[in-house]
Amino acid sequence: MSVLARSVGNAFRNKIRTAAVVAVLAVAIGLALAMLVANQAVGGKVQELNASVGTVLTVNPAGAQGFDGGGEPLTTAQTATAAAVPNVVSVVGTKALRLETATAASTSTTGTATQQAGPGGGPGGGTSVTTNLQAAIDAGTLGNRNNTSGSTSGSTGSGSTGTGSTGSENTGTAPTFSLPITATGIGAEVDTAGKALNITSGTGLGDYTVASTKALVGTTLATKNNLKAGSTFTIADKTFTVAGIFDAGTTFGNNAVYTTLAEAQALAATPGELSSMVVTVNSMENVDAAKTALQTALGSSKADVTQGQRNLETAVSSLDSVKNISLVAFIAALGTAGLIILLIMVMLVRERRREIGVLKAIGARNRTIGLQFVLEALVLVALGSVVGAAIASFASDGIASALISSNSSTAATTQRGPGGAGFGGPGGNPFGGASQLLTSVTASASPGVIAAGVAAVFGVAVVGALVPALLTARIRPIEVLRGE
Amino acid sequence: MIEVKDLVRQFKSGDRTIKPVNGVSFELEKGTLASIVGKSGSGKSTLLSLLGALDKPTSGDVVVDGVSLAGLPAGKLTEYRRRDIGFVFQQFNLIPNLSAVDNVMLPMEFAGMRKAARLERARSLLEQVQLDPEKQSRRINKLSGGEQQRVAIARALANEPKLILADEPTGNLDEQTGEHIIELLSSLSRDHNTTILVVTHDRSLAQKTERRFRLQQGKLSEETVRPRVAARA
Ligand SMILES: Nc1ncnc2c1ncn2[C@@H]1O[C@H](COP(=O)(O)OP(=O)(O)O)[C@@H](O)[C@H]1O
Ligand SMILES: [Mg+2]
Repeated sequence: MSVLARSVGNAFRNKIRTAAVVAVLAVAIGLALAMLVANQAVGGKVQELNASVGTVLTVNPAGAQGFDGGGEPLTTAQTATAAAVPNVVSVVGTKALRLETATAASTSTTGTATQQAGPGGGPGGGTSVTTNLQAAIDAGTLGNRNNTSGSTSGSTGSGSTGTGSTGSENTGTAPTFSLPITATGIGAEVDTAGKALNITSGTGLGDYTVASTKALVGTTLATKNNLKAGSTFTIADKTFTVAGIFDAGTTFGNNAVYTTLAEAQALAATPGELSSMVVTVNSMENVDAAKTALQTALGSSKADVTQGQRNLETAVSSLDSVKNISLVAFIAALGTAGLIILLIMVMLVRERRREIGVLKAIGARNRTIGLQFVLEALVLVALGSVVGAAIASFASDGIASALISSNSSTAATTQRGPGGAGFGGPGGNPFGGASQLLTSVTASASPGVIAAGVAAVFGVAVVGALVPALLTARIRPIEVLRGE
Repeated sequence: MIEVKDLVRQFKSGDRTIKPVNGVSFELEKGTLASIVGKSGSGKSTLLSLLGALDKPTSGDVVVDGVSLAGLPAGKLTEYRRRDIGFVFQQFNLIPNLSAVDNVMLPMEFAGMRKAARLERARSLLEQVQLDPEKQSRRINKLSGGEQQRVAIARALANEPKLILADEPTGNLDEQTGEHIIELLSSLSRDHNTTILVVTHDRSLAQKTERRFRLQQGKLSEETVRPRVAARA
């Protein structure tokens, strides 16, 4: 029988009480661990967001974004103006095109469809051209709902609603709506948010400023159309070669094609025109100043300068508050666990005063008895931690998302992009909005974090048990033994 | 050898001071079985706790084999209790959730003895106090009073103490069991050559000890000294 064995034995002296204590401890420890896991997950996400969206400004024609709105287009000449603004590191022009699958387009008109009022699109900036590519995204409920007006106009008078109809003009198949593919001409190897393209196979386009029939295709679009590096496809009856495949990380972002800027301008027959400019600033601190300077340089009647990560900033700040809340909750739960241990051990010491006196009478050192009580507390904490870790691994995901949704509901009202643009229009920010980001935080209980949390719990438990353990030193055997 | 020199212990209760031990002196040779009788509240337990370093005297000293307790710090007093003293209490005061063997092994563990040696010695001691072997692994609260007191005596012997202090060890036992316990203490004092001081208010039990003291009004007086041989007869 060692001190440890005795402590374990003592921990189970009153089994019902031990079970109750362990249950209460498990709740506190489980909560602490879940909060720590949530804190770590959110912290990681914040870091990731800060790294991915540092210093990018987007310039759109005043009054327009993506394919929506009106106003005068931006021009290549303006990129020089933008580049001259202090702290601007680079300016990349983009030209957005909407690619319509040829068969779908031919149901309404024959030949190259230009300036077709695209599904969900308004008048203005966007240019639609045909392609032989099939979109990798099914229209689905959202697509069909979003595009009811567009497809209605396309199918009016088709007469295909009646059974047995043999309309000669029609192909016989109902003109099912297919989503457009986003094609963007880019002046450098970056996406429309200014992030470097992640090319997973093949190569880039080389010189992005000259026209070329090379293109980059998103992963899902490539899979859908059986494209590899070297394959060919057509845009506006012109044959393009796939130079490389890229992964944008989102389904929407991967249903896209990139060409060189000059090529896209040629396809749209609008040389020198830009849909947007992606401006990179040298550091986070200078972003606000550069934004103002850029707006002044370009003229507010001509261009809207928006901070690409504005909605991300909201997301980051709301994630930051989640992080702080979870940290406070972690500390509170940890403190509660410590307090529970403290109170239980004080109770046990009082209950066993006589026994402690006897042990001292027969020669036990104060530290032997103190150690015995600390070990007993640790046995209880160990059991509580096992149960608590199980609770945490089940609960942390739920707790994290509960924390986040309660926080992002306030953020959601302010997270709309500038210029009234809704969630990710074609060619828009692949990050649809803060809520999408927030839900992508997965609080998986990693063993390392759990281990660190359990270590913290044990640290607090030792402190909590030390106070009552020190109380045992003050028990004088003569006083407790005289009671007989 | 135990020397007790002019020991005084006074308590203040309210504005009254009482001196249950008021100038007690005596000596005990090694291996003596001695008894103290006295009325309830006469200060017998107080005297024993002074001898066992559970309490500090107001004045006077206890010297054990030439070492004075008066000059020892707390840590040394704990060591003195662990190594030189064995306590036997009226209420047995065993640890209820431990087995008989585990209880006997406790003082040896505190003294740093190795586990195998502890177990062997505990079993042999329990044999000497005549506890049935099958009861050695039983939890204390599953044993009778007499059996518990045997275990307590074995525990007192664990570290081969110089002095065993037994405070009314038969007080909670029936007459016959009490007699067995006194006989056991008597034979142990002979076999181990251990000094044993027993407090009792049972005169017939006191008769069986070699030296008999009476505590009265804080003073100790000795009754007739019987030769050792006679005591064993
Ligand atoms: N700590 C104490 N404080 C006050 N009075 C005490 C204390 N300890 C013992 N006494 C008193 O000293 C007297 C002797 O007590 P005790 O030694 O227990 O007697 P006995 O063991 O002979 O029955 C009693 O009157 C008791 O009330
Ligand atoms: Mg007494």
